[in-house]
Amino acid sequence: MNTILQKKFTVERDDYANAGMVSSAIKTTLRQVGVDPKVMRRIAVASYEAEINMIIHAYGGTVYLDVTEEGMIHLIFQDTGPGIPDIEKALTPGWSTASQKARELGFGAGMGLPNIRRVSDEFDIESSPEGTSLYLTFRVEE
Amino acid sequence: MRKTAVTYTLSRCVKCLKCVKACPTSALTMENNRVHVSQDRCINCAKCIQACHSRGLIAQGSTLDDIDSYDYTVAMVPSALISICSTMEEAEELFYAIKQLGFDEVVDLSPLEGQLMHETRHISSEMKEGGGIASFCPVINRLIETTYPMLIDHLIPLNYASEIMAKQIRKRENGDKIGIFLCCECEAKLTLAKYPYGGSRFETDHALALVDIFPRIRQNMKQGRMPVTFSREGLQSCNPAVMLQRKEYLIADGYDKISSILNMEEFGLLDSFKLLYLYPCFNGCIGGHLLWGNSYLSKNNIDELTGHKRIPPTDLPIEELYGNVISEQKDNRSFKEKMQFFRQVNDMLEKLPGYDCSACGMQTCRIMAEEIVKGSKKISDCRVLNAVTGGHNDSKGTD
Repeated sequence: MNTILQKKFTVERDDYANAGMVSSAIKTTLRQVGVDPKVMRRIAVASYEAEINMIIHAYGGTVYLDVTEEGMIHLIFQDTGPGIPDIEKALTPGWSTASQKARELGFGAGMGLPNIRRVSDEFDIESSPEGTSLYLTFRVEE
Repeated sequence: MRKTAVTYTLSRCVKCLKCVKACPTSALTMENNRVHVSQDRCINCAKCIQACHSRGLIAQGSTLDDIDSYDYTVAMVPSALISICSTMEEAEELFYAIKQLGFDEVVDLSPLEGQLMHETRHISSEMKEGGGIASFCPVINRLIETTYPMLIDHLIPLNYASEIMAKQIRKRENGDKIGIFLCCECEAKLTLAKYPYGGSRFETDHALALVDIFPRIRQNMKQGRMPVTFSREGLQSCNPAVMLQRKEYLIADGYDKISSILNMEEFGLLDSFKLLYLYPCFNGCIGGHLLWGNSYLSKNNIDELTGHKRIPPTDLPIEELYGNVISEQKDNRSFKEKMQFFRQVNDMLEKLPGYDCSACGMQTCRIMAEEIVKGSKKISDCRVLNAVTGGHNDSKGTD
């Protein structure tokens, strides 16, 4: 695996004012590269959902963007807790633990993780009370 | 490739770079003290024309002299133009006045615009994933093509009213040497005609900028009347405030607003809307820059005109309405090549000052970096770097 582009972004807890900034930055980068629009759309949808999850449910964290020479785009969303107690439930469409504040702002419909899994080519999730890591892979069709 | 409507006149240009900075798609550059408009990037939004204080940029349409080269001529009048009339009598005078310019026939586009509006709603209601984007505006279509390619699939594939109508007229007048003219309320619609671009696939022959023919229309007003009846849906389709509102429709006007909407839609955040009806011009098509009326008054006029005897939208077979409003630009580079170029640009960007001052003639340092990598510019063309290193070289030893 030959990494040719690497970027790192920070997401702050409860930072609703800047919600979407990281996924916008990822989108801008991929647009500058000239990634196929269909793949770009899937990445945009997934990264926005994942970023919002970090703001609403987690204590913030770090996002890594990693592009390989072979056309694999890896995204890692790593937060610092409190973890997802039941991943199976979290992956069920409609299931949500979002706070009232988040729902008032229009977030927390319970479609976040199911949507992310639907649009990504590879999906992996690890969670403990210390934090959750979401590994997403997208293949650029040649 | 559709040619841009924006034309540059060197003599009036004061090289202030306002147009270069105003362009939302970085289509403008200043090269050798001349403004250059990139055909690939320009979306004909006319922001540069509005930014230009010295009137160095204009939108070039056809002239009425072109009427003489045809046996039979037709002028097509869009709803946006009708909206400048405050009464039905005035509208009848307007149609008469346009005919007096030398046309054999004046065609009202409002019934067809009404049908397109109706069909747009119908198609969008049946779209499965996300919302449809109405494709009536050439600026929106070009903007999605160049800047939001993720949303190309969302564009509802209906053709422009003027194109559909021109095709119908041509079918009817089979054989005659027929000239079809479109009266244009905005710069973007000037691109929907063959002239002066030549060899394109458009059905319309000539596009007339309304401001250019206005003095002659005014002379002919109050001279006579031509009976007309309009379609309400057609007239309403050119303004966001008077068109049919539903909670599943997102209707917005103004360039900044629509670009933020398209940005959100790329994340799939507006999928609950069935239809995005976006006007880049403030107040919709009645806010077109080539109209002479005030768009707030025009909005009231639409209410007045639609209160009268009206005709239903046209009833053309649906297959006549479809058309390709997008000319997708395929990027044939492999992913490896794309990444290599991207990295070279980023490396170059590190060396540039990053002020985006446009002094080199490029809108931003990124555009400049791209041009340097492509080989059409040199790093020594950066005026800021030149000023810094030049100063150091001249005053050796100081600092």
